[in-house]
Amino acid sequence: MRNWLGCYLVLLAVLLPLDVLARNIDLATVPSRNTVQLTIYNSEDLTLVRETRVVTFKQGVNPLQFSWANTLIDPTSVELTVRQPKTGVELLDTTYPHDRAQTLYWHVQSDTNREATIEISYFTSGISWRADYLAIADPDEKTLRLDSFVRVDNRSGEDYENAQVRLVVGTINLVEKIAQLAKLPVGRVKEALKNEEYQETRQKAARMMMAPAPPSLARAADAEIAMEAPKEIIKEGLSEYFIYTIDGTETVPNGWAKRLRSFEAADVPLNVQYRYRPREYGEELVRLYLLRNDTASKLGLTPLPDGELRVFRANSQGGLSYLGRQSLKYIPIGDQIELNLGADPAVVFELIKRKVHRDNLWFQVKGGSLYRKLGDEALKLELDSTVVGWDEHTVFRQEIRNYTGKPITVQIRRDYPGDGVFRSQLKPILHDFQTVQFETDVPAGGKAELDYQVTTRQGYNQKQSRIELQTGQVDR
Amino acid sequence: MTRTRWLYSLGILLVCATTPLESMARIKLTTLPVRERVEIQLDHPQSALVEEERIVPLVKGVNQVDFSWANTRIDPDSLVLRILPPPADKPLDIKVLSVSYPPGETALVWSIAASDSGAARVRISYLLGGLSKDFHYRATTGRDEKTLDLTQWLRINNNANEAYENARFWVGVGERFEKPLGLSETKELQLARFVSVPVRKTYSCDPMAFGYLDEAQDKLNVPMHYVIKNAGGSLGKQPLPAGKARIFQDDGKGGSAFLGEDRGAFTPPDDELTLYLGLARDISVRRTIDRNERQRIAGNLYRYDVTLKYEIENFKDTPVTLDIAESVRQIRDAIRSGETNGLDPEWQLGGGTLAKPDPAKSDADKLLFHVDLPPRAADGQAQKQVHTLRLTLNNEW
Repeated sequence: MRNWLGCYLVLLAVLLPLDVLARNIDLATVPSRNTVQLTIYNSEDLTLVRETRVVTFKQGVNPLQFSWANTLIDPTSVELTVRQPKTGVELLDTTYPHDRAQTLYWHVQSDTNREATIEISYFTSGISWRADYLAIADPDEKTLRLDSFVRVDNRSGEDYENAQVRLVVGTINLVEKIAQLAKLPVGRVKEALKNEEYQETRQKAARMMMAPAPPSLARAADAEIAMEAPKEIIKEGLSEYFIYTIDGTETVPNGWAKRLRSFEAADVPLNVQYRYRPREYGEELVRLYLLRNDTASKLGLTPLPDGELRVFRANSQGGLSYLGRQSLKYIPIGDQIELNLGADPAVVFELIKRKVHRDNLWFQVKGGSLYRKLGDEALKLELDSTVVGWDEHTVFRQEIRNYTGKPITVQIRRDYPGDGVFRSQLKPILHDFQTVQFETDVPAGGKAELDYQVTTRQGYNQKQSRIELQTGQVDR
Repeated sequence: MTRTRWLYSLGILLVCATTPLESMARIKLTTLPVRERVEIQLDHPQSALVEEERIVPLVKGVNQVDFSWANTRIDPDSLVLRILPPPADKPLDIKVLSVSYPPGETALVWSIAASDSGAARVRISYLLGGLSKDFHYRATTGRDEKTLDLTQWLRINNNANEAYENARFWVGVGERFEKPLGLSETKELQLARFVSVPVRKTYSCDPMAFGYLDEAQDKLNVPMHYVIKNAGGSLGKQPLPAGKARIFQDDGKGGSAFLGEDRGAFTPPDDELTLYLGLARDISVRRTIDRNERQRIAGNLYRYDVTLKYEIENFKDTPVTLDIAESVRQIRDAIRSGETNGLDPEWQLGGGTLAKPDPAKSDADKLLFHVDLPPRAADGQAQKQVHTLRLTLNNEW
């Protein structure tokens, strides 16, 4: 079924002279599409369409009309290539007529009467794809099941029937690459041929998996027939990209969207961690599921493209609990996946400032270049000397109470700009020059009290811009 | 039956195998599997998750299952279709092939492959806008105000434009329960009842938080609170969600008197729920800064010695405990007329009568003292108590 809005390739009746283009009454035949391949980029609103049609040419010059009314095709990108035969058929020129919008004419020279396979390629906008994910954790939060989907939206104005769909994951230099593909016909033909071979192998595999579609009556009668399986999405790395090729062909009519499963992974091990990182997650303790995109975790076959991820937890009643959603940024193979589930009301996280004192006070005498420390008895300080440097000691207690019913691990990062010392028995590490990181386990129903003292050297006393870690007791 | 658009309908197109999407014309023959079971999870603070179980008849081959949600606010990306394991005596291999979204419709079509004809039990989950919950409390104290009965109420508001004949609810606290929920209905039910919960009635003064009754006369406001610890008995197992609390007192005649209401904050286990009751007028607290001496240490560095005096009278015929709360920063800013360097005050408590703050409720800035006040004497005279808070503020400039 053709969409009236769609692209047409018209072979103008072969015996007409060339000046037929000026006339208003035409006779034309319409060769149908043989194959269509869509390569959809998710970083740009751009899809490369490559279609083949079989056309019968007469000996001499053959006019071809290509029109794309009401679609979103970029007219400068339309290209014609002769795929079969390799020689003997030649594109002479392309004409964009002044009186018809969204139409062009090709003149093709053939050395004999013959059938030829031509390939027409163009860019269209309006077709997009995106990934989305569904994670369902098991009730005890040891593992989860991750389903990945791809959704193709067709708002291009054109129906693409039985199209081979390829989805490009990756964002680097995409526009240049597409432009390059379009501008180098030789390279493209080569690639197209490679794809053809590839398609054959894949179709072979698909035939193994999926029986050809017989009429439903015949199918019901035949009990031995193989069951329809969800389509496999074949993932291959190509340079900086990953290309997902959807098994077989898909029909996505204009205005429709279709969502297919890209992969599923069950029993993916996960760790639950609580983190306080104000720079990343704001001023709250958040709960995270941590997993890894690697084979040990039953993942790692493909990078995970950007997409929305929804997290549920199976409850003991067989139902689901909604935990949250987040947009997942591209996860390379081997990288960690962090699912932020937000604050957990079952964990109480409080910072108490317990005590403040100051010492090591330095004065500037009469606004000049003479500095004296307080307690330096040798010199009586002048009335108009002012405090310009001091050390400020602040004692904190971080309280964490765990009502989750399970032991938890909490990681805390705090920023201390300036010249400081962080004293504690918490075995902290430096995340960076001004950020201290420490961890603690809190038993189920238990409480953690983490004491630490921060000394900052202020004003004249500030010599460095970094926090230093010290092991020791905090002031009482 | 002609396919029409049903609210929340789940339609199974009796079309087999290789039906291309375009052939899904506007006139369709469908079966409409009913909801077998509905669960509504309201435990997430913002979102309501609805999970419905339906039995879907499938034919061998590929089935189109049409789900539509006209006039409701289902988040279509949140839809999850799960096929429950078939019974062992009738194994049926069922797989979801794809989902298609028709243009301009609040609907989707699942392509489901079945190894044989039969019925599949499926669970469809989705986030639904318009379903919300809130909590409120009713507290009735005894005559002596030592214990109270606390009831926790749940209100579910259905503005989701959909009715559920019978749904099992889970709101994150309390027990699961089953109730019908009609269109645009609000359902209210008692979630929990805590009987004879110990309650502490507090009288306090806190110039920072509650200010003065009469500042010219240095008289502080004396707010009253009920303090309920979320611990012990049937309490303390779950947090108490935030909600309005109406407070009544048993009047001893079988009725109750309304004492007031307050918004209770979210209270985790072991924390205290504090409900404000109003101002006590029978306890008078005059607070003055009695002494403010500055000693220069060196240059512009000073030490301040400050004494706060509290003259307290209890005109009640019962003894009470008064909680005196102070912020050292506020005291410092007051005595220095706001001309400070903004640093945290460094202080020491001196030898006043208020020398031992409650360690659990005090920190580097906040101080809390408990003071016992005797009842007024038999002749009606209140006994004036004088307390002093002596503070040394070091290293000020």
